[in-house]
Amino acid sequence: MIRNYFKMGLRGLKNQPFFTLINTLGLAIGTAGGLLIALYVYDELNHDEMFADSDLIHRIDMEIKFGGAEIKSAESAAPLAGALKNDFPEVEQTTRFRIQGSNLFRDTQKTDNIKELHTTYADSTLLEMFDLELIHGNRKTALKKPNTLVMTRTAAENHFGSVDVVGKNLLLNNKEMYQVTGVMEDLPSNSFLKDYTIFMAMAGNVASREDIWGGNNYFTFIKVSPDTSMEKFQLQLDGLLEKYVLPWATRTFPGMTAESFLASGNYIRYHSIPLTDIHLHSNNKVEMSKVGDMQNVYILSFIGFFLIFLASVNFMNLSTAHSLKRAKEVGIRKTLGSNRGQLIIQFLTESGIVVFVSMLLAVLVSSIALPFFNDLAGRAISIPFENPMFYGWLILITIILGLISGSYPAFVISKFAPIDTLKGNSFQTSSKWNMRSVLVVFQFGVAVFLIVGTLVVFQQLKFIQNKDLGFDKEQVLIINDTYAAGDQVNAMRQEILNLSAVQNATVSSFMPVSSSRSSTSFFQEGKMDQQYAIQSQVWKVDEHYLNTLDLKLISGRNFNGQFVSDSTAVIINESTLKTLGLDAEEALGVRITQEVELGEPLYFKIIGVVQDFHYESLRDDIGALALFMDRSTGYMAIKLKTADLTDILSNIENIWASKAPGQPFDYRFMDDAFETSYKEEQRLGSIFMVFTCLSIFIACLGLFALAMYNAQTRTKEIGVRKVLGASVRQITFRLTLNFLKLVGVAILFALPLGWYFMDIWLRDFTYRIQVGWQTLGFAALLVIFIAIFTVSFQAIKAAIANPVKSLRTE
Amino acid sequence: MLLKLNHIYKWVKSGGRRVFLLNDLNLTIEKGEFISLMGPSGSGKSTLFNVIAMLDTFDEGDYFFENETIHDLNSKQKTKLFNENIGFIFQAYHLLDDLTVYENIETPLLYKKIKSSERKALVADMLDKFNIVGKKDLFPHQLSGGQQQLVGIARALIIKPKLILADEPTGNLNSTQSDEIMQLFKDLNTEGITIIQATHSESNAAYGSRLIKLLDGSVNNK
Ligand SMILES: Nc1ncnc2c1ncn2[C@@H]1O[C@H](COP(=O)(O)OP(=O)(O)OP(=O)(O)O)[C@@H](O)[C@H]1O
Ligand SMILES: [Mg+2]
Repeated sequence: MIRNYFKMGLRGLKNQPFFTLINTLGLAIGTAGGLLIALYVYDELNHDEMFADSDLIHRIDMEIKFGGAEIKSAESAAPLAGALKNDFPEVEQTTRFRIQGSNLFRDTQKTDNIKELHTTYADSTLLEMFDLELIHGNRKTALKKPNTLVMTRTAAENHFGSVDVVGKNLLLNNKEMYQVTGVMEDLPSNSFLKDYTIFMAMAGNVASREDIWGGNNYFTFIKVSPDTSMEKFQLQLDGLLEKYVLPWATRTFPGMTAESFLASGNYIRYHSIPLTDIHLHSNNKVEMSKVGDMQNVYILSFIGFFLIFLASVNFMNLSTAHSLKRAKEVGIRKTLGSNRGQLIIQFLTESGIVVFVSMLLAVLVSSIALPFFNDLAGRAISIPFENPMFYGWLILITIILGLISGSYPAFVISKFAPIDTLKGNSFQTSSKWNMRSVLVVFQFGVAVFLIVGTLVVFQQLKFIQNKDLGFDKEQVLIINDTYAAGDQVNAMRQEILNLSAVQNATVSSFMPVSSSRSSTSFFQEGKMDQQYAIQSQVWKVDEHYLNTLDLKLISGRNFNGQFVSDSTAVIINESTLKTLGLDAEEALGVRITQEVELGEPLYFKIIGVVQDFHYESLRDDIGALALFMDRSTGYMAIKLKTADLTDILSNIENIWASKAPGQPFDYRFMDDAFETSYKEEQRLGSIFMVFTCLSIFIACLGLFALAMYNAQTRTKEIGVRKVLGASVRQITFRLTLNFLKLVGVAILFALPLGWYFMDIWLRDFTYRIQVGWQTLGFAALLVIFIAIFTVSFQAIKAAIANPVKSLRTE
Repeated sequence: MLLKLNHIYKWVKSGGRRVFLLNDLNLTIEKGEFISLMGPSGSGKSTLFNVIAMLDTFDEGDYFFENETIHDLNSKQKTKLFNENIGFIFQAYHLLDDLTVYENIETPLLYKKIKSSERKALVADMLDKFNIVGKKDLFPHQLSGGQQQLVGIARALIIKPKLILADEPTGNLNSTQSDEIMQLFKDLNTEGITIIQATHSESNAAYGSRLIKLLDGSVNNK
């Protein structure tokens, strides 16, 4: 009998090739999309799980309130790790990272430097605690001695052309000699260490051994013994403040007492976060690598779920469309002795076959699409073919989809009494039509919703790109790592300035795109108490900075290199001005200082106020910023007169080669760099768009088939109407209108939902667009247009058919 | 006695009033009879067939099939009784479009869970008997109306029913085809199968051993 179910199932499908095709295709595409999203979500949720005992590893984060500022930081003080290890028996191991950013390394046998983007100091415990195997080298001793380093396979191959390089030497930034003591595999793309290529022994970092609780520059990881209660541990962390931090502070800041620290509402709180939670639940300004966002995971899960659901809705829809024929079959079969159970099995077998084939296709499609998807999402996901769980899930989903998709014929039609079905149409009451209508409305509702989402994401991105940032990012070339030119930087700037296409140039480590950052608290003269502390970014720039980036002064003047006194001058932004509670003119001449220590503090005089500019993401408010004229040579920003780059780049590179021989020439454009910081949004936008298109496609597949079926079953009616004198246009209109009504209902309920949810999404941005009626209107029109296009094709075909033919066939 | 209907009433409610489809209908049918049921359109022939086939219910009266009192059975038992004893032949053939001639005839056996080898033999017998061996792999739409009805009859017969109900079996056929089918019925009847056919054609009715006339839902004895 089983064989017969299969035979009958296949036969039934073969005899409706078009519907079978649409069902299979829709399901395959839908589940392929769903599968990709599921893999993505799985990857996001399982970040850092690959490390041995990942559930025992935690990071210690801090919340600090000191002076007016509240800071959340993933970094903590250098001596914290040692204190934890000493005082807490449950802490078995600790590892600290002191991020070093990008550095130049040179094989001592070679003349050219190679830049490594992500390097860090790490404690020697790193390799054991995270169970990182070395391909070469001994992990027990590898990071023990100062000036030793462990590198990844890729880095080793880049520098030496091989991985068997233990014992070889690398020169760091042309100064410091390091010996390679270990080579490890590249780190997994879904781990917090994914970006890092070189780990230098912490022993070489003198500051890491100092008992200073003030600076927070170390990512501190602990591994606790199994069965440790993290809640209890958490409570005990509070004792650190009293035991270590306050004694250090009272020693360091004369006049400060533990009481005075706490009295002004200051606090320092430590809390642990599990390693595996960091990726989605930690969101500090500085993280070891780019973290994800739980919200995006939710959004994508939603889209993935609906893709699959849309496809099974198609299936159900077409099943209901077929119910007339199937009902007759049910009637006949029942008179031939079939019982309901047998009919249910038969219908489910039929849908099961389609779903099964679709799943196979879906796996195929998603393997083909995976590289593109990875590109789109910026991930390195693979399909876990070696994981038995994967097949378990596939089977489970096949069964669920088979049940859902086949549910209508299996559980509803099979119930019909033969006598009703054999009589003809009488059973096809309006309720069946309603069920189908609801499904169509639902499908198009989802499509409208996703279109609104896509439009809003892209509009917001465009808004960000076009927003007046307060500085001019166009035609600005940034040369990276200009410190490599040493004391030749200024000479280099001068030569570059002489190029006819160059308008201006400035040298600084601080740029309004990703670059160095440095913050401190400072005080206005005469208001030296902690409670008046102003937390601010402090940037060292040269006197060309404002002009090159076209920053506008709202009062005062720019730095002048000729004035010796300008070395103690400061230019603040509007935001700082507000915090100081002064207006732009009043502020001029006011003196501020960073020091509250003994003796006469070094004061800086405010000589200018610069209009606020967006030096951080538009998600955040513009914070206080103070510019000082001082030497810092991380980057050179060059303002070009034209967008035409024909010769400029090679000219600049030539100058670079003469001033910084052997150093890699690395540059970026400021507008590109700016856009890079919105990569996640851009990715989200692209993913949104791709899957929106997919879902619209699936919905249209369904509508197309429904329209075709509708036209087919009404050929006779159409024939009669034509004979009675109806025009092609009238008939097309009639056939199309019914579907359009449904699409209209879909629009009515989906637009408010889309508006509501996208408004929530936008709230993440301090600077954002409003969801306008134009957007909603456009989404509605787009869907109506697509629906008309899909349906009217069938309608017109039916309308222009020869009526005599259709009447005869009945 | 094969079946007996005593004072059967069946009605539908229309605007608060009862409209009688079967009205005090009495009928006894003996084993081996070949009944021709006649009556004007709307007189209740199809309704009566559905009641006899236990596909439809009635509102009042007694129905005995062999030793069973049908009005006391639940629907499952009725279905079982129907499936084992009655073959139904439709005016519109009602063949399964997606199945071949062979498979259409085989289907009732599948539902009776008869073994594959036995099925083959039984279907082969039927194909033989109705001279449609050559057509066994064709689909219904590839057959003429008469051939389709042959398949319908073969399919009804394959379960070896005691009773065949044929509701205007030749209504869609021309007179030659019609005569062939009637001759077939007569042959089956001599083999011992009880047949009730509804028909509008006097000549078809003449094949039967007894004529029953139906008028407004009851047997017209005039
Ligand atoms: N569900 C129903 N509701 C109301 N009236 C019904 C219903 N089913 C049948 N009838 C009516 O019952 C009467 C008998 O119908 P039936 O189909 O039994 O007639 P028939 O003798 O088979 O006619 P024909 O020779 O045209 O096939 C008809 O008047 C029909 O309209
Ligand atoms: Mg009838």
